Amino acid sequence: MLRVVAFRKAVLAGAAGAIAWEAALRIAISAGLPFFDIVRELGTLVFPSSGPLFWWPVGLAAHASVGFLWIVFYGYFFWGRFKLPPVLQGLLFAVLPLTLATLLAVPQVRLMHLHARIVHLDAQRLFEPLSWWTLAGLLIGHAIFGATAGSIYSRPVGYRSGHEPPPAGRTARRPHRGVTRKPHDGRSFMFTTGIECSYPTIENGRWRRDQMAATRHYSRWRDDFERAREIGVSHIRYGPPLHLVFTAPGRYSWDIIDEPMRELCEIGPEPIVDLCHFGLPEWLGNFQNAELVSALSEYASAFAARYPQVRLYTPINEMYVCAKNSALHGLWNEQLRNEGAFLTAALNLANASIAMSDSILKARPDALFINSESSEFCQPCCPDPKIQEIADLENDRRFLPLDLIYAHPVSDRIRKRLRDHGLSDGDYDRFMNRKVPRRSVLGVDYYEWNEKLIDSRGNPQALGELFGWYVIATQYWQRYNRVMMHTETNRMDAADAPRWLWRQWHNVQLLRSAGVPIIGFTWYSLTDQVDWDIGISKALGVIFPVGLFDLNRDPRAVGLSYKYLIDTFGSQPEYKRCGPLEEMLG
Amino acid sequence: MAGFLSAHGFDPGPTQRPWLAGAISGLLATLPAIALLWAFGSLRVEAQILGISQLQTIGAGLPLMAAGGGVYSRLFGRAANDIRGGWMFGMAFGFALWAGGAVMVLPLASGGLAPAGKPAVGVFCAVVLWGAALGALIPFVHRPLHEDIETGAKHRSVGPSAAVAGSAPNSPQAATALRSSTRSNRSQGKNSASAGRPK
Repeated sequence: MLRVVAFRKAVLAGAAGAIAWEAALRIAISAGLPFFDIVRELGTLVFPSSGPLFWWPVGLAAHASVGFLWIVFYGYFFWGRFKLPPVLQGLLFAVLPLTLATLLAVPQVRLMHLHARIVHLDAQRLFEPLSWWTLAGLLIGHAIFGATAGSIYSRPVGYRSGHEPPPAGRTARRPHRGVTRKPHDGRSFMFTTGIECSYPTIENGRWRRDQMAATRHYSRWRDDFERAREIGVSHIRYGPPLHLVFTAPGRYSWDIIDEPMRELCEIGPEPIVDLCHFGLPEWLGNFQNAELVSALSEYASAFAARYPQVRLYTPINEMYVCAKNSALHGLWNEQLRNEGAFLTAALNLANASIAMSDSILKARPDALFINSESSEFCQPCCPDPKIQEIADLENDRRFLPLDLIYAHPVSDRIRKRLRDHGLSDGDYDRFMNRKVPRRSVLGVDYYEWNEKLIDSRGNPQALGELFGWYVIATQYWQRYNRVMMHTETNRMDAADAPRWLWRQWHNVQLLRSAGVPIIGFTWYSLTDQVDWDIGISKALGVIFPVGLFDLNRDPRAVGLSYKYLIDTFGSQPEYKRCGPLEEMLG
Repeated sequence: MAGFLSAHGFDPGPTQRPWLAGAISGLLATLPAIALLWAFGSLRVEAQILGISQLQTIGAGLPLMAAGGGVYSRLFGRAANDIRGGWMFGMAFGFALWAGGAVMVLPLASGGLAPAGKPAVGVFCAVVLWGAALGALIPFVHRPLHEDIETGAKHRSVGPSAAVAGSAPNSPQAATALRSSTRSNRSQGKNSASAGRPK
């Protein structure tokens, strides 16, 4: 399955296309033009000798049904394939039904109108040429259909900001009783997966991307948790949809997540709760808003009070990526493209992360924080000082949010930029003097595009796995000297994903054997994702096949590999008792 | 064509049995289609064109429809397993069969004879209904036929050897090896934890 199809939109678009065709052609036919009358041809198959009162609604319903089927087909195979406005995409697509109608459907419908039960067909009769009026009618009708349906069928995933996600249809099944897991003993290595839950806005805040809706997690969460238990993971990264739960200051819609949270806490896998994942509620605006610090702190406090069983938190996921894609690359939320906006977002996020951790600790003093961040590295292509400067800046900038929450001095280059941006020495010192919670784990995410080459024009190009997680994670270890966890990885080539999984795992093993305290490993995510090949910057609905399971919840090869890995290593003494984790939780 | 199919779900999961699920679904979907053919008088007309009895016409159609179901399930793999969209893919497949089979093949096989009038409507509706039923059934028929995750995850090809470049378990050879191995394990009662593990 390549695309997510919005069936309700497809019904509307297909039917609207057929109705628009009928409206235009009916006027022309009523005016005496002898166009091909598809509605009459279809309707009189059922009511051959009755008046239009009978054949017209039947013919129109039949034609609208055909229109719907074509648009479902369009949604799966065609939509988003060309970089054209939706109306033109629909118009282009209409060439396909036009061709089939001309060569096949119209001759066959005429055959169906014959009184004979058997006819002798020869090539001449089968391919009898259609009249110019018939061809013109088909051409105009299909053009109207394509343009109308194309303009309606767009953005099959996501929803208008401030609205609820569209109804998901299928309700969640009851959990399978046989596949339950004991709660994590707090000592063993954390074999983890995650539910992809990003929810930024695009189109200048007008359209909400919601990965949980696109992957149908809202309706299939029980299936998802059961699949996770089947694989054998001990933990799951889980990010309740902040924009749907935190509806206004002091107001929360907990009912959306009460049941899933109860199941995770009681049956497992144990949740690592991710409180903010690339998006904010509409009322908070975007990451330029400094008020988000107190608001998210309030949310964290309320969450910890509501779900006191939760002990593992990621206050804010990948702060650097969030700030970069929102304020430097212009993809999400505020969609700005300047250094100042980036610094504002990064400072707000770091402040919020600290405030959230403090709030959680008040409710749950033994909480453990897994601060996951994208591990990145830029390699200059050549000895050009300008290229070197770009690479150095990127390599300094990647650490900024982590430096701030872990009270690690930023580089001189970044310090100057922060000062120029208006961060006072007092405010900077407050970050640096912070007492970092003892139970803080540095989560290091790694993907095939995290290592980049700065090319001769100064543009970053994805390098693939040049140095690998071992080398890049070591840079983070040397900088922060904190307990670590591999918190995200996957591979967009599904066939190659098992190879990638094992190689990532061997990187983890090697780094552990080098003495680095690593407490967990994560394949992210449980199911395929949607549109991550374009950084969810557009609502195309293209499936990103990186899951342990596909969106039908059928296992992918990497799902079997991960189970093999967990079954093999989970019972080994060095993973059954994970020293650094015991020490942190003890 | 291969790329197109691959992009739209040609890669069945390693625990899936698309041929079997498709063949069973194809047979089951024939039941409502036969009822429709009979109601429109199309069955009699087809038998007349082929020069055989109606029962023989059904008998000839069943293996063809089973084969058609198997081909469909294999070609569309993951898309065919989608509960929400499977019926639509099936219907499109039925339409393609109608266009390529009932419209073209029958006249060619019978020296140019083809159903017309109401029987022609019946043939069209029956084949499209068969496709829709096929697509709707496959996700449900397929589910109990899946290989077990427990068994599938014990195969060598998904284990550490997958780390070596070029041994991707999703490759056709590896998938076939996985399926035959798990079948063999089952038949020999070797579903123990050690089955298929590298020594």
